[in-house]
Amino acid sequence: MFGDGLLEALQLLMNWDDEIAEVVKMTIQVSGSATLGSVIVGVPLGLWLALQNFRGKRLFTAFVNFGMGLPPVVVGLFVSLCLWRYGPFGDFGLMYTPTAMIIAQTIIASPIVAGLSFAAISSINPKLRLQLISLGATPWQASRLLIREARLGLLAAVIAGFGRVISEVGAAMMVGGNIKGQTRVLTTTTVMEVGKGNYDTAIAVSLILLLGAFSVVFLLTWLQHKGKCDRL
Amino acid sequence: MKATLAMQDIVVRRGRSKVLHIDTFSIQPGELVALVGPNGSGKSTLLQTINLLLPFQGEMRLFDEVTAKVNQEVLRRRCAMVFQEALMLEGSVFDNVAWPLRFRGFAAPTIRLRVYEALALFGCAHLAQRSAQRLSGGEAQRVCIARALVTEPELLLLDEPFASLDVAMRSAMMEKIRTIAQSKGITVLLVSHNFSDVLYFAERAVALFSGGILQDDKPEILLRRPVDERVARLVGMDNILPCRIEREGDRDFVILNAGIRFAFPGNGAVSPSFLCLPGDALLLSGEPKVKPHHAGVLFEGLIERIIPGIASCCILLRSGELLLRVRLPREKTEGKLWPGERMQVWFDLADAHFV
Repeated sequence: MFGDGLLEALQLLMNWDDEIAEVVKMTIQVSGSATLGSVIVGVPLGLWLALQNFRGKRLFTAFVNFGMGLPPVVVGLFVSLCLWRYGPFGDFGLMYTPTAMIIAQTIIASPIVAGLSFAAISSINPKLRLQLISLGATPWQASRLLIREARLGLLAAVIAGFGRVISEVGAAMMVGGNIKGQTRVLTTTTVMEVGKGNYDTAIAVSLILLLGAFSVVFLLTWLQHKGKCDRL
Repeated sequence: MKATLAMQDIVVRRGRSKVLHIDTFSIQPGELVALVGPNGSGKSTLLQTINLLLPFQGEMRLFDEVTAKVNQEVLRRRCAMVFQEALMLEGSVFDNVAWPLRFRGFAAPTIRLRVYEALALFGCAHLAQRSAQRLSGGEAQRVCIARALVTEPELLLLDEPFASLDVAMRSAMMEKIRTIAQSKGITVLLVSHNFSDVLYFAERAVALFSGGILQDDKPEILLRRPVDERVARLVGMDNILPCRIEREGDRDFVILNAGIRFAFPGNGAVSPSFLCLPGDALLLSGEPKVKPHHAGVLFEGLIERIIPGIASCCILLRSGELLLRVRLPREKTEGKLWPGERMQVWFDLADAHFV
């Protein structure tokens, strides 16, 4: 069965079926946007957590760490309730749209990116920021240099966020609805094909998903490795 | 002349505890001041407060500007601080030294010129293209100091930057900074827990304990006339002998542990607990009195050990319960005194300091 799936995957890739192309395109769009969203939310949050001292910081950090293991279906349910026609944001009509999927996946991945960014920035000597400011850097200039300094760890945070987003299925199903040509992505297609008993197609789609995920992670790892080599 | 720094009723808190409380403290332009104190006394906190890196209560004037009323970044850019650790960014030595100028928006040709000038001052020009992560401890500290001086600050704050350097390198670095500071009129505040650094570098020493200033005077005054036992121990006073005062009739007498008793030369209203005696104030018995009008006090004991030194030797003399440290010139000890021998030393009461 695995061999058949592999063959079918190769055929799908060779023929580049329009339907699959649409699913791949949607996956890239949703996962890319959600990863970007989680980086936009998570990196500054992690940076702020690492650099600021405030009352309740430990509790807040514990919440961020808890968020790293947030169950996607719970997020899916929460986003559904918010976007549902009678929900607080129902008027926007976002339910069962790629935007709803991006929102849900951003919520899922942001704590991961924030938590790992926090760890990356915290691993830098805290006096380095003071040293930069004492040398005349503005807080913004100092933060920019610290981000540059922690880029290996921050790239790891991005990789982890992307990994979470690309593999997510529960929330995507709940808020996207797996509508053909609109919100169908590789993970939801795999679930659907398995449900229909089309294991060959499911394996083929999974392989495409793995190939895509590997390519992105490989690219990020290469960037990370390049940074490491530049240090030496 | 307007003070470079003037602090009034400064309080810094960490959580609920007060980590720094300075009633008044000021530094005049061009002064070379050393801040000494044991670990945890608030030396680094004071430096960071002056550099406007920590929030504080009270009034501080930097370059005659009230820090609360002007842009702190502008004031901070007239200072530079070097931390104990060599805190370097990734990249070349050139890049690291160039950052303070880049922060201030200098043009590339000016940056290049000034970076090489600063590196050359500390003999590091040849390291410019080397990765900052590959420097040795001494090289890294030299680069850090060059980085601090590249902006030609008016106030240089040094937080034990020589702690990890060997003695020869320490002296050379201190001499270099001292020369540069004096030639360019830079005010320097050096933090150190090593009093010999202070004697080498500064014209004024400030002893800090538990966040407060205990003594602020010339280094030699701290060395010979410490205000209390803590300062005496900090400056490495050779002999800190527990004592008590007993009154007999209308006269006060000092009683030492060894049963030695002599008239108290000070004010009877003060009751000291320790007699501080520099090792070089103890003279071999038979030596003439330098100040003949003063009374002398005699100790007798057994030589336990003779510690060799460059110009003088340190003799550990056991006199009853007391272990005295006597510093004698080499010519008076070499081949003339031996461990196990009895020896008599005396001190002039004018050299005695009670705390």
